[in-house]
Amino acid sequence: MSGPVLETERLVLRPPKPQDFESYLGFITSDRAQYVGRVQTRLAAWKAFAVEAGHWSLHGYGPWVVTLKSTDRSLGQVGVWHPEGFPERELGWLIWAEAEGKGLAYEAAMAARDHDYRVYGTKTLVSYIEPDNARSIRLAERMGAVLDPAAEKADEIDFVYRHPGPEGAR
Amino acid sequence: MIPTIDSARLVLRPFREATDFAPVAAFFASERSAFYGGPAPRPEAWRKFAVFSGHWMVRGYGPFALEEKASGAFVGLAGPWFPEGFPEPEITWMLCDGALGKGYATEAALRALRFGYEDLGWTTAVSSIVAENGPSLRVAERLGAVHEYDFQMGDVLLGVHRHRGPTALAEVAA
Repeated sequence: MSGPVLETERLVLRPPKPQDFESYLGFITSDRAQYVGRVQTRLAAWKAFAVEAGHWSLHGYGPWVVTLKSTDRSLGQVGVWHPEGFPERELGWLIWAEAEGKGLAYEAAMAARDHDYRVYGTKTLVSYIEPDNARSIRLAERMGAVLDPAAEKADEIDFVYRHPGPEGAR
Repeated sequence: MIPTIDSARLVLRPFREATDFAPVAAFFASERSAFYGGPAPRPEAWRKFAVFSGHWMVRGYGPFALEEKASGAFVGLAGPWFPEGFPEPEITWMLCDGALGKGYATEAALRALRFGYEDLGWTTAVSSIVAENGPSLRVAERLGAVHEYDFQMGDVLLGVHRHRGPTALAEVAA
């Protein structure tokens, strides 16, 4: 799939490829996905994966696959998307268990947010997070995002974290 | 990249959200969508819509949006379809309400079948159809497809209809 590729200190963020499906399947059917749309079957996982690919195809942007610079293997997905039913553009992140605890999600999400502000001229982004998803809440707060009780919710997800705009994010 | 091809009355092209999603959402709000995993609320209909395009990225092929040449209107979809868990690659089709009864499904499926054989190098193709979906069964029959076996997909039983192969199809067209 064609689309922009980002590089950070340790990471490459690139559009998804068919071979990324197996690791996505492992994640999205696991307990780690309990707050982010866990599914039970291979078919449901494949469709969820194809929805993200479809977002790339329809809009020219979407969740990037995150890899280390030394390998093309997917360690997660981080990026901005705006599917039907989401009131605003959302910055989201999923990191596989093997890659956790190294600050990779933070590094990728900061790069994705900066890219969105620079390339699309967006003035703000939100992250929709389940109240029990403590790790994601910590990441949002580390990025300077704050709970926005006035924001419209998406998919019955109760917390909307609002990111600082282009000026505040630097 | 998703190619654009055509038949006598239809253009088979990539999906565009601005023009194509609203009719697809309307289809998935209707009872007729029960044969396609519906009815579904708008956000879920969008996910089904996005899979049509995402299928191309994941498989390298996928369904086309159907545009009526005479009006420029989006009238449905047809094309190669092989989601994870299906027994084999197939040709699917779906028409919006206003496009029924004109032979568009047969015309589009036939063109998509040729695309499968000529451009993708397929040597065989099927279509999976729920036994209660009379209109689609008649399309399969018109195309010369023959019921071969059934398979269970979640809670629905799908009948698998085998299309004419590349040689037989070329002979019919000639």
